[in-house]
Amino acid sequence: MNNGAIILIMAVLFVGLGYLGVPVAFSIMAGVLVATALTKVSFASIVGQLFHGVDAEALLAVPFFLLVGELMTSAQVTFRMIALAQTLVGHLRGGLAQVVTVFSMFFAGISGSSTADVAVLARTIGPEMDREGYDRAFTAALIASASTIANLIPPSIMAVVYGATGNVSIGGLFLGGVVPGLLVGFGLMIYSFFFGPVGLAHRRATLCQFADAAKASALPLMIPIIIMGGILTGWFTPTEAGLMAVAYIVFVLIPLVNRRHIRNLARDFANAGLLYSIPMSAVAAASAFGWMLAYLRGPDVVAGWIADFAGPDPLVIMFLLVVLFVIVGDFIDAVPAIIIFMPIINALTDLGQINPVHMGVVIIVTLAFGLITPPYGLSLLMASKFVGVGFLPSVVRSLPLYVVFFATIAFCIFFPDVVLWLPKWLLPESVGCFKNPSGTGYICPSL
Amino acid sequence: MSSFVSPRERHLKWRALDGLEAVLYVACGICIIAFSLSVLLDVVTREIGRPWLWLQQLTTGAFTYGVFVGMALAARRNEHMYLTEIVRAMEGGKRRAVEVMARLVVLAVAICIVVFGWQNFLLDMGSFRMPSLIPLGYYTIVVPISGGLIALFQIEQLVNGLRNGFADGDDHLVPEGAL
Repeated sequence: MNNGAIILIMAVLFVGLGYLGVPVAFSIMAGVLVATALTKVSFASIVGQLFHGVDAEALLAVPFFLLVGELMTSAQVTFRMIALAQTLVGHLRGGLAQVVTVFSMFFAGISGSSTADVAVLARTIGPEMDREGYDRAFTAALIASASTIANLIPPSIMAVVYGATGNVSIGGLFLGGVVPGLLVGFGLMIYSFFFGPVGLAHRRATLCQFADAAKASALPLMIPIIIMGGILTGWFTPTEAGLMAVAYIVFVLIPLVNRRHIRNLARDFANAGLLYSIPMSAVAAASAFGWMLAYLRGPDVVAGWIADFAGPDPLVIMFLLVVLFVIVGDFIDAVPAIIIFMPIINALTDLGQINPVHMGVVIIVTLAFGLITPPYGLSLLMASKFVGVGFLPSVVRSLPLYVVFFATIAFCIFFPDVVLWLPKWLLPESVGCFKNPSGTGYICPSL
Repeated sequence: MSSFVSPRERHLKWRALDGLEAVLYVACGICIIAFSLSVLLDVVTREIGRPWLWLQQLTTGAFTYGVFVGMALAARRNEHMYLTEIVRAMEGGKRRAVEVMARLVVLAVAICIVVFGWQNFLLDMGSFRMPSLIPLGYYTIVVPISGGLIALFQIEQLVNGLRNGFADGDDHLVPEGAL
């Protein structure tokens, strides 16, 4: 049987079984095992890939960033940040919608998980929005859209997985995601201001109220500084920065702001232990899938198709990859998608001589968009469920918000500096710059 | 101990295996605490100029153990990632057929993981990790163990599902811990 047919069987089994209710990790493995039976590859080496797929030090950052989100949510520290967001933007038109977006931008700097963001917002601000007359479908759509910012503003779990599997600077991806994350956030705020439901009018917070809220949030908002400060100064790797954030929460934040929560810490750790294993199971299976795909020379074929169509033009290559990942993100989760398609991304990044951080951020923004597109928009599915509205009405209310994501992706593609100026400024080596031999500044490749 | 056992989909579980679920839940916590402490010590010993190189092996070991232990636990709690909720919208015989098929697929994959994971373990006992010279098999043994547990939990769900029905008001999609 030729390689193309085997790849097709593997992919059809994965998607088909996945849609028939087999968990993602096992539907991927089922496809890979059937493909293995059709090739000369040994089953033992494929099962071995499960272990080697997660035996990577860079992936250690994932549980820490999930743990940060779990601890912050469980210790109810997030309420302080919601209060701060309310004093900042609660008085604007569509006040609570603005609060959702601003809180998501704050929370994104603390947790790399969209699902944690959805859970917090849907349970706290969701009922408030309901009381103020926002339609539930809009509430679900906005919460889900805003939660995607967690994957863009550092720390981002997608960036960790992308960096670890694609051998791209995780620090560079973190910094590169900041501006696109803010663009999505401000885009959602602008939409809510001009086109969203009005909500109830709230009085502008006084300076004292703002100062009180800022003071109460000061300790939680130290976490992004610890994470990015540690990485940028070179003191910590992203994994160690995640750990330092956890240590800060356990030893400083919780004892100071919610001492009674200390007795629940063991449970938080156990929950986080289970939480990180779920995406990592998919990573393990996806790495076996990616290995088999590479063995069957699938990436070369797909990269060849795209190269035939696009030539070495980086803009066309990126556009085609965005189209590919919009489709992929509609059907499968971002983490396995990154791992499965990484060989294709790498081949095309080389072909178009695209900066790997630029390419990575564009792919991550596209996959974050996949969290709100049907049929597999995990954030939107969760938000609709929590808010208590059907998935379809939420999808309909999300459609105008897609414009924000399309605009952000287009900005990132056509203006690479949107992505690269921050890493170039703060972490020049991450985007291929090197120290000027004459001793002043850096020399950067043309981007 | 009961607080360590998820109350969801109770009708698919044997009480006899609740203890095992509790042990796996605690083991998940121990793994994440172990590699957290290990990374912390790694930073501290490196900063004081006396790095313990073997700590990195402890870290990756605890991490991978956590992944595979959690994989088994998520199989019992039905908390793995799913692509859709199509199955939940089904009823009657169609639902039963699809649920049985899904578990048979997972069972088949789990059996492969046990058989070929065991072969890998035997091979890996002859490979060693530097600098501690710990046999790689000590790390990879968790793969067939996890496969065995997943197979056990699938059989449990199949038997109980066929006896009591699979339908329940629970949520397939959202991991309990995420809420």
